[in-house]
Amino acid sequence: MSKNFSRRDFLKLAGVGATTTAILTGCGPASRYVKREPYMQMPEYTYNGQSTYYATTCRECAAGCGLVVRTMQGRAIKTEGNANHPLNLGKTCARGQATLHGLYNPNRVRGPIKHTRGERLYAFDEDPFNGDFPDVAANLSWDDATQVIADALTKYKPNEIAFLMGAAPDHLFDFVTDFTSATGLNAPIRFGALSMFEARATLSKAAENLFGETGLPFFDIGGAEIVLSFGANFLETWLSPLPYTRGFTGLREGKTKQRGYFVQFESRMSQTGGKADEWIPIRPGTEALVALALGRLAFERRGGALPRAFADVNPKEAAEKAGVEFETLERLAVLFADKAGALAIPGGAALGQSNGLEVAEAVLALNAIPDNFGKRGGVYLSALAPTETEYHRPASPKEMEEFTAKLASGEIKALFVHGVNPLFELPKALNFKAALDKVEQVISFATFPDETAVEADYIFPDHHGLESWGYQRVFTGSAQAILSGAQPVVSPFYDTRATVDLLLAAAQLVGGKFAGAVPFKDEVEFIQSKTAPLKNEANGFFSAVDLPTFNASFQQYGGWWKTESAFGAPNTEDVLNRDFDGAEPEFNGEGEFYLVPFVSPTLAEAGANKPWLQELADPTTTVMWSTWVEINPETAEELHIDNEDVVKIISEFGAVEAAVYKYPAIRPDTIAMPFGQGHTAYGRYAEGRGANPADLFSAEYNQAGDILFGGLKVKIEKTGKKLAIPRLESMMGVYGEGLGEE
Amino acid sequence: MIKRLFDWLKQPLGLIAVGIVFLAVFSVAVYGLSLTQKAPDQPIQFPHNKHVGFGIQCLYCHPGASKGPNAGLPSQAKCWACHNQIARTQTSELLAPLKNAVESGTPIQWVPVAQVPDFVQFNHRAHIAAGKNCEDCHGDMTKVTVAENPQVFNMGFCLDCHVKTAGEDKVLLNKLADCGTCHY
Amino acid sequence: MATVTDLNISEVKLSEEYVGKWGMFINQDVCTGCQACVAACSMENNIAFVGPEDAGYGRTMNWIRIERFWDGEYPEIKMTSRQPMMCQQCGHAPCEPVCPAFATVHSQAQQLNLQVYNRCVGTRYCANNCPYQVRSFNWRDYKRPEPLPNQFNPDVTVRQRGVMEKCTFCIQRIHQAEDKARSEGREVADGEFTTACAQVCPADAITFGRVDNPESLVSQLTKQYEGLKHLPELGTLSNVSYFKGG
Repeated sequence: MSKNFSRRDFLKLAGVGATTTAILTGCGPASRYVKREPYMQMPEYTYNGQSTYYATTCRECAAGCGLVVRTMQGRAIKTEGNANHPLNLGKTCARGQATLHGLYNPNRVRGPIKHTRGERLYAFDEDPFNGDFPDVAANLSWDDATQVIADALTKYKPNEIAFLMGAAPDHLFDFVTDFTSATGLNAPIRFGALSMFEARATLSKAAENLFGETGLPFFDIGGAEIVLSFGANFLETWLSPLPYTRGFTGLREGKTKQRGYFVQFESRMSQTGGKADEWIPIRPGTEALVALALGRLAFERRGGALPRAFADVNPKEAAEKAGVEFETLERLAVLFADKAGALAIPGGAALGQSNGLEVAEAVLALNAIPDNFGKRGGVYLSALAPTETEYHRPASPKEMEEFTAKLASGEIKALFVHGVNPLFELPKALNFKAALDKVEQVISFATFPDETAVEADYIFPDHHGLESWGYQRVFTGSAQAILSGAQPVVSPFYDTRATVDLLLAAAQLVGGKFAGAVPFKDEVEFIQSKTAPLKNEANGFFSAVDLPTFNASFQQYGGWWKTESAFGAPNTEDVLNRDFDGAEPEFNGEGEFYLVPFVSPTLAEAGANKPWLQELADPTTTVMWSTWVEINPETAEELHIDNEDVVKIISEFGAVEAAVYKYPAIRPDTIAMPFGQGHTAYGRYAEGRGANPADLFSAEYNQAGDILFGGLKVKIEKTGKKLAIPRLESMMGVYGEGLGEE
Repeated sequence: MIKRLFDWLKQPLGLIAVGIVFLAVFSVAVYGLSLTQKAPDQPIQFPHNKHVGFGIQCLYCHPGASKGPNAGLPSQAKCWACHNQIARTQTSELLAPLKNAVESGTPIQWVPVAQVPDFVQFNHRAHIAAGKNCEDCHGDMTKVTVAENPQVFNMGFCLDCHVKTAGEDKVLLNKLADCGTCHY
Repeated sequence: MATVTDLNISEVKLSEEYVGKWGMFINQDVCTGCQACVAACSMENNIAFVGPEDAGYGRTMNWIRIERFWDGEYPEIKMTSRQPMMCQQCGHAPCEPVCPAFATVHSQAQQLNLQVYNRCVGTRYCANNCPYQVRSFNWRDYKRPEPLPNQFNPDVTVRQRGVMEKCTFCIQRIHQAEDKARSEGREVADGEFTTACAQVCPADAITFGRVDNPESLVSQLTKQYEGLKHLPELGTLSNVSYFKGG
């Protein structure tokens, strides 16, 4: 450009051009006018421009929180908690909010698909934020799909067919249970990664051993004055986080008394541990010892004969082994012994050690010191849901290994998978992929193109949770017995079909005993047959004169629950009358670091495909969109590792790579990694992002059948690579630009 | 180079060229402007004048106006409630789209003409409640056939009325002339 | 007759007695940092996600963030109380006088700091002048591929590239509640509606309401906990009170 062509001239010319362009395009009718489609038949309760609200149940995890979804013109706009629902009282967690990003996710399975195993289900590029990534189109009709299932039911013998299901929804599990028991098929098996990381099998087994009855303990944090938590991450994903968070508020606000005291024992500060008044980083493996030592000290403080349970422990030795000051234990024991509402909670990685069951029992036994079983601020047995006679927990990893072996042996010829993604959620050590290859026919009912769907022969997508009928039994968290109801809040967005309806149609097609096993017109009729007996139950929070009214109210209120408390008081006679050996667990591997894997509080096991969950800052590290490995800054300095250096974490069973985050609140001999990323499918926002710490696990189990995810020692190796991990705490950005550090 | 261009433009031929370019730009601009004033094509040549002439109230078809933000478009079921009793509906060519839509169960795609930009949050209810009549903004529908945009809904039009309504009432003026009343 | 120009926009009392209209009380002692408020805010207010690269540049669009700080060194380390931080809706806001386009103006009627998207030309002066760092700028037209836009809240403008945005105290909900109350011929009751973040908070750490009404829950809690404002020395007259707790 010549010197004479001044900036002013340029602006003049550009101005003329821009004006003309604006007039021709910007203000033209083509850009201004839109098309609007009115309802063909307006529902009578709808007004234009006004929202309609529907009560349903959240399906992001199996806790069963009630939702009220705001819809407008047939679209779901916002989820809110159902204020009447006794479990969550109008609140939701971040995942409940982001459920709409699942419903309107750009990568969903759009219809029934016949599929070659291993083939992509959507186009993918390195950069998921630009370009178009179309999903694989449906290539079957639902009639074909029905035929496929009917063929599978007739072609294979009953014991060659298996159902693998997620922890939600319960109505489908009940349907499949009824269906399989009436036709002689294998009973369905359920699994979820959350229950694996909670070590739920260990927790419920410990409760069974101590109290002599099955059931999941509930810890009334809200009524307590002091809480000792041994790694339980009850503010994150543990069991039912919303009622526990509410309990935590109660503890802090201490409405009637003073502010409650909260102590957390764990080797890596979790989001929950970050809220503790005292965070005590004990050495992994000494949790049982510390609990027993506290028990003995507290008992001595209170006086009286020392019970068998705490007789053998030497508190001073225990303190030394755990790396805690003896005075700290003494002080806490005094606090614990003197308060009326004193609560001890087992959880976290400690239960995933070879002595996990003993840890759980020892910590639970602490609650016998103030004898707070079945009392306010103490330990209850969770209320059973209205239609339940005993607590059904999801399969433990050990049971999943047995199931995997069955698949691998070729015993199972047809596998139906719903609501769970075993190829991601099960540790690699179980080798589920190889087992799946041995199964002749794999049918997935996945809503999203997850890893397991990619390895299926057919994908017959179920509706998204917000498009579905159903119910969910609330297994813990509320004093009341709750059956949480679900109804579609919007009509299905894609050509999906409810799995119950599909199975019903297939059963009809086969006829004979299959048709007779489930004599229902459709899914709704089945659900209503299950909820109908509740109409005549006493103490329901609503009453109905007839069944149609009951069904309508069930839908309107989002479920049915009792008005009275159904908390069980555990039988505590034998709690302290037992021996603990206090032996330390075996750790697997030669490495110098204990590995603490934890579930990402924002993503959990299935949140990675929702972009807003990915962009939520992790509550402790504020990292977004990534997997990181937490290392104590001093250790990092010794190893000459800095933030964002990529390291290789190596166990005897696998290796993963992740960028380092120097985390100041972790033991120098421990490293930690979040679980939730590392997908190889599951939509554009999840795929190819981060790593999965479950790849490091060994296929070994504790006495209760939980995998030893907390019992690993690993090595780390530098790779020389760098990977910027975005994090909220660094408002300057993480690329080092503009800081003079180039 | 620019200087040579200007020198050339100053001679008669150059002036004519400038004139031609100016005329071309101007006429294109005028054409563009005229396009913005044209009502869009509608799927049905809906005569508002006839319907209003029959004495049908605005709120019969646009009931949302008194309830909430949107006046709303009537569902075809509502059209059909009257029209299926009118013999001409079956034969009239102009009404064929309605008949087709009802019979095939496809929604009619209307093109709304009275629009505000996306960054304006308009609420019909408050205006009706404040005593405004439909024709104050939308014009006299007894004179309109296919709906036209009788009024440019720009900020001056809205604010004029807001300020007038408030009059001397300073508190009300604060409210009605607040940016946050419409923009959020 | 009064015209718009007659309004004295700077008519804000610079005194300790200043009382706003809408305000919040935040109990940091119970805030667990769970991010539910951040998710709820994004869903309610059509906030764009920016992706890992821009997030790394510190360009995330969240209107509310939860700050976390460290205190001490291992093993005597504490994660101090989490601090939810959003626009403090200052009565005397530093962002307002620096906007050359009058896009950042004070609402006299609602006593809120407004961000008028259609006026904003993207100078980012306001963000630079905000001591709370709560404004975010649309550096790009962030993509939300179909069908994600189906989730958009129709009551909130979808912002484009080059526009500043920030927490509005869910002004759309304020208008909705006021409109409903007016149609029923009454005043808006305390607790009748609340912002998206306060509604979702599982720990009940956030309370929203009228701070000019001493009977409202938010006023009561502020009094009970002796809530403190952030950076009071700057004279921003913020409308959000915090209780840090132990």
